[in-house]
Amino acid sequence: MKQILTVAMLTALLAACKKDQYYLYNDIARLQFGPTPDRIYTSSFEMADTMKPFTFFYEPATITQDTVFFDIYAIGGISGNDRPFTLEQVNIPGEANAVPGTHYKAFSDASLKDAYVIKAGQVHASVPVIVLRDASLKKGTVKLQIQVKANEQFQPGEIKKLWRRVEFTDMLSQPAAWNASAVQYYWGKYSQVKHSFMINQTGEKWDQEFLTFVNTDYALLSFWRLKLKTLLTDYNNAHPGAPLTDEMGETVVFP
Amino acid sequence: MKLTYQILAACSLLLTASCYKDKGNYSYKSPENITISGVEATYDKVSLVDKISIDPKVSSTDPDAQFSYWWGIYETNVQGSAPKVDTIGHSKTLDYLVTQPAKGWVLVFGTRNEHTGFSRIVTANLNVVTQFTRGWYIMKSDGGKTDVDLFLTPTGIAPQSRLENVFSLVNGKKLDGDASLFGFYTNYKSNVTGAYANTRALFILSDKDASVVNINTFKEIHGLNNLFYETPSVKRPGSISESSQANYFVNDGHLHSIYSMSANIGLFGGKQLRDDNNSPYSLSKYFMAYPFENPFFFDETSSSFVSATGTGAVLSATTDATGTEMPANRMNKDLLFMGVKSTYPYVGIALFRDKTDPTLKIVSSITPSNYALKIVNDTLTQTDKLNQAEHFGLIVADENILYFSVGQEVWSWNLSNGAEQLQFTVPAGEKITSIRHRNYAGSSNTEQPFYHNYMLISTTSGGNYKVRAFRKTSGNLATTPDFTMEGKGSVGDVIYIAPSISNYTYPNSY
Repeated sequence: MKQILTVAMLTALLAACKKDQYYLYNDIARLQFGPTPDRIYTSSFEMADTMKPFTFFYEPATITQDTVFFDIYAIGGISGNDRPFTLEQVNIPGEANAVPGTHYKAFSDASLKDAYVIKAGQVHASVPVIVLRDASLKKGTVKLQIQVKANEQFQPGEIKKLWRRVEFTDMLSQPAAWNASAVQYYWGKYSQVKHSFMINQTGEKWDQEFLTFVNTDYALLSFWRLKLKTLLTDYNNAHPGAPLTDEMGETVVFP
Repeated sequence: MKLTYQILAACSLLLTASCYKDKGNYSYKSPENITISGVEATYDKVSLVDKISIDPKVSSTDPDAQFSYWWGIYETNVQGSAPKVDTIGHSKTLDYLVTQPAKGWVLVFGTRNEHTGFSRIVTANLNVVTQFTRGWYIMKSDGGKTDVDLFLTPTGIAPQSRLENVFSLVNGKKLDGDASLFGFYTNYKSNVTGAYANTRALFILSDKDASVVNINTFKEIHGLNNLFYETPSVKRPGSISESSQANYFVNDGHLHSIYSMSANIGLFGGKQLRDDNNSPYSLSKYFMAYPFENPFFFDETSSSFVSATGTGAVLSATTDATGTEMPANRMNKDLLFMGVKSTYPYVGIALFRDKTDPTLKIVSSITPSNYALKIVNDTLTQTDKLNQAEHFGLIVADENILYFSVGQEVWSWNLSNGAEQLQFTVPAGEKITSIRHRNYAGSSNTEQPFYHNYMLISTTSGGNYKVRAFRKTSGNLATTPDFTMEGKGSVGDVIYIAPSISNYTYPNSY
């Protein structure tokens, strides 16, 4: 009898081979950050733009504020009504955190009351972060880390996608396009001395826009890498015993 | 017995699966076979002149077949985008005026049996050509300006007519300086057709200027002023070559490159550094290069061989191979000539003059092994004619012979035993300006009339040139040339171009 039961159970298990049906999202509406809409289905870009550097360095003195945008997505489908969402600053321990009203326009600022909304019929919005050109930024960099806060419309989404960070300054800063790959293969370790050297020697801005343009063309990348390497070699040859040294005391090199 | 019941019970359970109702749709007919004939494998057509007229035969094993048709065309060798098929017809017969720019295209014919839904597609290569795509090109200079003559060869390798000064005719200008070197590449990137794609491009180098033209139209793609990411301050082209996945351009003794294995826009990069200290260097115009091998240049400043890569910022150093008779670096020699003797094995021939004792000259064979060079020397005696050589022409791949000229005489130097032999004396009053070996061979029936293996001896006299095309037997010139091409000026280089000639047909060499 025992064997009959065993064989019967094994046979019944064959039924488990039936194709499972898909489950549809039927949770409450949630909110989380993501890449730009054109990258939303590219898994390697899932955590892109988590941190964005920004500098007022290239802006005319008359510019007192600027905007950094992030992309945010509603989960759970569209709605027929505009759905406001809430963001909050998270202080990073041990870091120079941005001060609302001084370094950035607070999310609760009246002028921004319509800025943080998922429009009716949409699941995506660009999140503006208004950064302010405070005099203190001439001497340092501040960090503004923001995260999704639950409200009546949305609960937080995936934990790892709830935050974004802006690091901004009024000094030269490492553009986002000077990324890990660029460090390894093209421009080497970032320093303000190196960055200034590149700008002064070539007449180019070497900002995010220029680096993004250069990154599109390997031949152009190679041209600039060779050009900078040559200029640096010539500079060091002209200053025997005093090679170009960065603010950390390290000799400037291009790979 | 109990076990038998158990097995029967299990089998009964499994047998219930056989109660599944079979809704299969079985057909035991043979698969349909659609046959298309009457479409050739390749068509050569002149843009805006020729029509493609094709009436294919289409049949099917389906007796009730009812066909619909379409014709399309798309560009080949496009960089960075998928080529789009343009529909050019919906009837069975095609009578289409070719309007595409001259280059390679693919013609597509598709048919669908509307009764069964089965389709069949065939393709054909379409070479859109112009009068510029076949013939002998002669680079000549006159009064310090360089231009190009084209000798048309419509039916065979012997030219039938001449188009004079085609470069200035098409581009409205001549190149400055004296004619120097041709370089032909089929993988040069340009957007002459609207998208960046491999372009059949001819480099024309004079000693003061350069131009790269689309061979299909002879229109300039880039002049020397816009051939680089940064315009060189000094215009002194030395050489153009292709090697180890890159194109190399020597200007003012400095090396510039285009890495051809990544997307590019046909512009050469900056001056490569001699070393990490940016030490001064000056490359000779002579070089060794072949697409599948490392390139080798000679730094006249340090009397050293150097190599390069398409992606490197610094020239690659060479080393000495086992058995070499002379160091590859700091050899205290001037390089008087160097060229590729054979591509497999990769061997070059060079003529050196000692810097300390200028009367000492040596002929060397150079065999690279990666970046190590095995240099084997043959010292000239004072009576050797080769001591006084003015122009050189290596026979590539065939006989082991170096041709050279002294005054009005063309001599051969047997590289195996050093024997010299007078091959040809040009008529009085003529001055030899270049010696070039061109060998175009293959197995295409349609190209048979154009295959050749010539030593081309160029002379000038009274402002006019003659290029005599000699066959050779066992390394010796025939007594009379097969044909002579004549025009105005003094010749620097000669090359034969045809639609099937590629960047592998002729080795890169002076």
